[in-house]
Amino acid sequence: MAKRSNSIKMSMGEKIFQTFNTLLLTLLGISTLYPMIYILVVSLNEGQDSMKGGLFLWPRVFTLFNYQFVLGNGLIQNAYMITIGRTVLGTILGIALTAFVAYGLSFRNLPYKKFILFLMLIPMLFNGGLIPYYLQLNRLKLINTFWVYVIPGLFNIWNMFVMRRFFMDIPESLRESAIIDGANEVVVLFRIILPLSLPMLAALSLFTAVGHWNDWFSGAFYVNDNKLIPVQTYLQRLLSADSLSMIFGNNRMIGEAAFRQTQVSKMTVTSIKMAAVMIGTLPILCLYPFLQKYFIKGVLIGSIKE
Amino acid sequence: MIILFNYMPMVGLQIAFKSYTVGNTIWNAPWVGFKNFWFLTDSEFWRIVGNTLSITVLRFITSLPAPIILALLISEVKREWFKRTVQTVSYLPHFVSWIVVAYIIDAFLSPNGGIVNQIIQFFGKDPIFFMGEIEWFRPIVVISAIWKETGWNSIIYLAAIASINPELYESAKIEGAGKLAQLRYITLPCLIPTIMLLFTLSIPSILSAGTDQIYPLMNNANLEVSMVLDTYILINGLQQGYYSMASAVGLLSSTIGLILVLCSNKLAKIISGEGLW
Repeated sequence: MAKRSNSIKMSMGEKIFQTFNTLLLTLLGISTLYPMIYILVVSLNEGQDSMKGGLFLWPRVFTLFNYQFVLGNGLIQNAYMITIGRTVLGTILGIALTAFVAYGLSFRNLPYKKFILFLMLIPMLFNGGLIPYYLQLNRLKLINTFWVYVIPGLFNIWNMFVMRRFFMDIPESLRESAIIDGANEVVVLFRIILPLSLPMLAALSLFTAVGHWNDWFSGAFYVNDNKLIPVQTYLQRLLSADSLSMIFGNNRMIGEAAFRQTQVSKMTVTSIKMAAVMIGTLPILCLYPFLQKYFIKGVLIGSIKE
Repeated sequence: MIILFNYMPMVGLQIAFKSYTVGNTIWNAPWVGFKNFWFLTDSEFWRIVGNTLSITVLRFITSLPAPIILALLISEVKREWFKRTVQTVSYLPHFVSWIVVAYIIDAFLSPNGGIVNQIIQFFGKDPIFFMGEIEWFRPIVVISAIWKETGWNSIIYLAAIASINPELYESAKIEGAGKLAQLRYITLPCLIPTIMLLFTLSIPSILSAGTDQIYPLMNNANLEVSMVLDTYILINGLQQGYYSMASAVGLLSSTIGLILVLCSNKLAKIISGEGLW
């Protein structure tokens, strides 16, 4: 596009269009960002003061109290650990397992390959639905354990197909020459195939990690132990809470509770909620700009397959 | 792995035809034929189907053109840094969970202190309790879906636009074609295959309005329009324990989904000469 503007002088109409376009996109950009800025502002403002309204761009009575309050809560600290644990474990184990299967299936002369692939295609088209799935989790004794977050999602069929496609595009000759040099399949996979696929693996890992981070569903329905819920499920429960006692949870730390009693008047439920939301989202928002190029690559890798 | 988590649930679907109660095993439950499909004659069920369809169809109509328009606008930007900034910002909401979106909606539309209502009050009108009024539910769902996914969905269109041969534009310019003519005769025709492909891919999801998005927005006041098939299964099955009936609903919608996938694959074959697999 840049080339064209150099070669041909911009006409008046084009200039107007460019200005208009820039304005429009800036506006769209602001309306995309604004909701998050607003949440940030409310979370940084003193609760009682927020109730008066009129908060738009900048906290009027700045305070970190909402954050201190949320971060000091035992339930959310615990939820944080659960989220981090499932994200790390689920992503690393999941990508590894899926990559192994994909590598195995990328061999052109694998016996029964057609049958195995067919077996994997069917679940992409048809599934048993939520209830039989739940009953199956129950039968496997996964309900109400931490592993219900990790194990069922380990093998991802879609990712497997993307990886397999990618592995198959790596020239066969590379593998063959390594084999001649005395490497076995495991060495080939770790020394040649995986390093070459790094951008793709990074992209898929990031998608998987974001999926884990943002998943509230399994925490809400497959688990009923408060000690096992992840941050997003915690937020989901908090969403419908309108009293502060629901936010505290049934905490037995009396000293902390007494401390709260004195502070409760200083804040409102809304401010606390917003602080909790920011805490649940911030890690992704902070990492996001650095990881953007991988995300985009990942989308395009996925689309090549089609 | 897939046998455990994909195929076993399919076997478990048999409870759709059985009278299953907690504590019993799937295999021991007595067969009852199509008794669990009683919901088919229930008017409430059909209202829920209607809710589902109106949400998916509305969301579909609006979220198909939006990313195309955004991609067209972005592709016209000439300053690299501005282009990159706009892209970064527009992809951002994709990584925010639906729970957080529900919070944002709550913060914006709340009748006490929400920004939208402050503006309404500024103009001397009474505040509106958006989440409590039935007619607002669908617009909220649609707008939040656009906010969250438009930027992300535009990636694929941007890639498609970038892959159009620039010579086409050069020669069109020499012929004296203006911006609109270029759009009409070059860009859009080049995008048609991508559009059609994404269109056919999204047909099968017409029966799933998405628990992720809908469930956090549900409340007692909007239940009449907010109950969709996914949440109906969820609430009846997991929360109320009507396993068999909820499975039957699930079986029905999976089957329709399967038929739609097969149809849209056929359609894709006819249109682009190539199936999805």
